[in-house]
Amino acid sequence: MCNITKEQVYDAISNVIDPEVGFNLVEMGLIYDAIIDDDCNVKVVMTLSTRGCPLHQMLTQWVKDAVEMRVDGVKSVDIEVVWEPEWNISMADDNVKKALGAL
Amino acid sequence: MFSVSRDYAPPFTMIAPFFIIGSIFFFVGSIFLLFLHPQNGHFDPMIAGWIHWYLLGFVMMIIFGAMAQLIPVVVEVGHHSVDLYYVIWPMLTVGTLLMVLGFWHYSAVLPYGGLLVLTTMLIYLYDTLMTLKKAENITMTVKTAVAANLFLTLGIIVGFIMTLAIGAGVNIDISWWLDTHAMLVLIGYVTLTIMGLSLILLPMFGLAHGFDEKPIKRAFNLTVAGVILHLLSTITGFGFGRELAVLMVVVAIGYYLYQIYLIYSVRARKENDIWAKSMFFAYTSLVIASILGIVSIFIKNEHIVLASAWFMIAGFITFLITGHLYKIIPFLVWFERYSPLVGKQRVPMLHEMYPKKMADWEFYFTSFGVVIAGVGILFGIDDLYHGGVALFIAGAGFMLFSVKWMLSFGKK
Repeated sequence: MCNITKEQVYDAISNVIDPEVGFNLVEMGLIYDAIIDDDCNVKVVMTLSTRGCPLHQMLTQWVKDAVEMRVDGVKSVDIEVVWEPEWNISMADDNVKKALGAL
Repeated sequence: MFSVSRDYAPPFTMIAPFFIIGSIFFFVGSIFLLFLHPQNGHFDPMIAGWIHWYLLGFVMMIIFGAMAQLIPVVVEVGHHSVDLYYVIWPMLTVGTLLMVLGFWHYSAVLPYGGLLVLTTMLIYLYDTLMTLKKAENITMTVKTAVAANLFLTLGIIVGFIMTLAIGAGVNIDISWWLDTHAMLVLIGYVTLTIMGLSLILLPMFGLAHGFDEKPIKRAFNLTVAGVILHLLSTITGFGFGRELAVLMVVVAIGYYLYQIYLIYSVRARKENDIWAKSMFFAYTSLVIASILGIVSIFIKNEHIVLASAWFMIAGFITFLITGHLYKIIPFLVWFERYSPLVGKQRVPMLHEMYPKKMADWEFYFTSFGVVIAGVGILFGIDDLYHGGVALFIAGAGFMLFSVKWMLSFGKK
């Protein structure tokens, strides 16, 4: 049985900031799910704000690093980038929408 | 899985010269505007020389630098032979200088400059087409890149033959072929490239999603058909075909502008930073250039043709480039100097990596300069034209210092 919670994984990822917009990936709404199995293998399901993002691989690597370094007891981290559902601003927190002028 | 790794990204030292040299050509080219007299018409060698200085030294130089970075993003694979970019900027610089010297003073050197530019373009085309060949996901942007690069090849070949006519006495009607040369390069390459890239860059920076892409597809098809029709009409001496081709391109630009409106209307990011302001001015200039272009079909007046070209080049293309430089250069610098430090120390955000006040001054001086000089060209008022150019020079100076500021950010 693994004691790692989704909240711990999300907290770790909230340290990863998109340098273009200046917000972390969790408040941007880019993290769709964190699946933790009984052996503490973590799978993060995420998307990006645009498909042509030049930081694609770096962002996914930063998410992987953040979970590995900041969550105790993690055995492995796998990142899956999905394009469905497509990200839109309604998925972001209100503070992000407000700062971008979308609220 | 789509990914762009550091391996695909060209080194910073390879791309930085494109932006430095391009900005210098922009600033010096703005000073040269003082010595032009628009009433001489677009066949004036002084104007032809300036256009080549500006389009090759500034516009093409920056586009090539940006493409070195963006092609892997667009086609989702690495460059075929990225090291070729080390020879592209020196050859393009020397070729442009020789061509301008040929237009302004020694027509005999024009073919040599033309040959250097042609060779540079072929090198660029080789890498680009071989890279595009590897693309698995044939998106609209990939299609526009392929078509644009084929038109560039034809445009440069036509241009090279024209340099032979001027410098080596080859017998062709230059005035007949000039329009097609401009159509192939300015519409077939520059405009098509802009159409393709804006489908990536505008939604990326504006955080726009879920918009209809039909207008850009129609714009692409009409532009390609228009440019081909113009070329065939020129070869066969079919004058009406050339006018129909111009009309098709104008309709294509209309569809393109509608696409931009669709992207603009669904954007999530509504802050008016220097990029957003520059895009707004660029597209307003494109609307003005298109209206003047339509009018010039029905009213044969050199002032209208030149004013349309001025708003297209100094308004639309220039602001599209300068606006994106405030996004692209900070990204390149950040990628080079700060991305290895992520997670280890606080790293700056991209919006902190350009000089906001200097950028605002650049925007206001350049935009007022474009409008005032444009009115001067349209109504044939030389003093107004030169007054506008003085403001444009000040704006280009601010741009040059902004580029230096951005490239030096975080340098030890």
